[in-house]
Amino acid sequence: MNIGFLGLGIMGRPMALNLLKGGHTVTVWARRAESMQPLLDAGARGAANPTEVAQASEVVISMVADAPDVAEVMRAVAAGAKPGLVAVDMSTIAPAAARQIGEELAAAGIDFIDAPVSGGEVGAIAGTLSIMAGGSESAFAKARAAFECMGKNIVHVGESGAGQVTKAANQILTGVGVLAVAEAMAFAAKNGVEGSKVREALMGGFAASRILENHGQRMLDRNFKPGFKSWMHEKDLNIVMQTAHQLGLCLPASAATAQMFNAMVGSGLGEEDSIAVLKLLERLSGQA
Amino acid sequence: MNVGFIGLGVMGRPMALHLQRAGHTLFVWSRRPASAEGIPATLCASPAELGRRCEVVFTVVTACADVENICLGEAGLIEGLAPGTVVVDCSTIAPETARRIAARLGEKQIDMLDAPVSGGAQGAIDATLAIMAGGKAEVLARVQPLLECLGKRIVHVGPSGAGQVAKACNQMIMVAAIQASAEAMRLAAAAGVDCGKVRQALAGGSAASRVLDVMGGRMVSRDFSAGIEARLHHKDFGLLLDAARRCGSLTPVAAVVGQQLNALMAQGWGRDDTSSLLRVLESA
Repeated sequence: MNIGFLGLGIMGRPMALNLLKGGHTVTVWARRAESMQPLLDAGARGAANPTEVAQASEVVISMVADAPDVAEVMRAVAAGAKPGLVAVDMSTIAPAAARQIGEELAAAGIDFIDAPVSGGEVGAIAGTLSIMAGGSESAFAKARAAFECMGKNIVHVGESGAGQVTKAANQILTGVGVLAVAEAMAFAAKNGVEGSKVREALMGGFAASRILENHGQRMLDRNFKPGFKSWMHEKDLNIVMQTAHQLGLCLPASAATAQMFNAMVGSGLGEEDSIAVLKLLERLSGQA
Repeated sequence: MNVGFIGLGVMGRPMALHLQRAGHTLFVWSRRPASAEGIPATLCASPAELGRRCEVVFTVVTACADVENICLGEAGLIEGLAPGTVVVDCSTIAPETARRIAARLGEKQIDMLDAPVSGGAQGAIDATLAIMAGGKAEVLARVQPLLECLGKRIVHVGPSGAGQVAKACNQMIMVAAIQASAEAMRLAAAAGVDCGKVRQALAGGSAASRVLDVMGGRMVSRDFSAGIEARLHHKDFGLLLDAARRCGSLTPVAAVVGQQLNALMAQGWGRDDTSSLLRVLESA
């Protein structure tokens, strides 16, 4: 299949490489020309702009930073779209923004899928991302071959925006979860109990989770290298809180967690992994 | 002086009347001309037309987008106001939006003050509002006599946007106090104690506050008709939590209060008084 790829950052680059490995013809564009080079070396075609990418593609995928970026590249895609083009955005943006972009593209006769991912850089490289998609059945069917090169757990959740709603729910669980694990670790330490033993004991019970297993271990190792940078988690939790505000939805634990991530960014922990929320807890309780 | 007034709602109407009674010639514009009825003023066709006839223009509207449209939109104030005139915005909006509008008006030598107020409808009627101003000191000095028609305590907080920051702080403290009052009333009732007596007893001690007095009174008498419509506090919390986020500052109580306000909105009490936060607790 002819696939276009826009945005070749930490996530986008390995995702596009996996499309090439899957045997697809890939045309790429990135704002910074130098980030295109690794893809061109691997056999991708380069394009001067998103419009040119669209002209060469049956499916166009974007992986960029924020909603305004998605809206901008998708407008350019619309200008070059051939009939039947499916546009896919795999960035994490607000559900409302995704729905609006979907409507604008639909008005231009283009099918749109919001398909954010979970699994981080590791999952992107390994081609094992979780992909949560929103959009029409027919568009999802067309994009499926591309998704299968990039991810394992691929779920068509519902209509336009449903993928982003799912991603926001994912960020609630991972955000609140990482704070809960950090609080448990701080609680054990303040009580003079060894955190590694606590984690080992809990992994056999109902509190066992992937976050306790992976993030908990990195907390014990005091390995705060990202992973998933806390400023990005802060951005995603802001999407959750804005959406809750608009809907009239009470999310007390998410609100408390979002506050901690605000303070991480404000106190210089933004570039560290989200598990650095442990450091913030320690500072607040004078343990640091 | 020729004074313009835009936004003749619960707050704006009594404020405009005070200016008129102080001897100023009043010009008004309203999206719904009917809301200008009963005000001795010249009704203008657009903010631009109003701007052409005024030296100082007050705006008291709800949302950031309203202030932006009135000032900078099509047939907005910016098209009518002469260099050296002043816009005084008494609405509660985001500090960042206030700064941006002031900068745009400044390009045409039109001065702007952000001058949000606290004191509610009663304060507007009694001309006892607290006014927190952001902008240049000399501009504030020029409009000081007008502000004195509206309020008692007028404080120059700092440069453009500083008034809105102060208002955000005001809302954080006030609505958190409403929530605390609601929780206390709820605890008293749940423990089988007369919450009216509790409120009366606390009024003599160190927990005494205007919020416990006024909002606590509404909770005791279960009079939830507005007052201040809770949806406006909900709007303000969206703004202030966003402002806190931009600074990366920790505001855990405000965050929880924001969630209780979300719940209040979901229950359909947005047009009732914010003392309805008690009803949110009761619905748990």
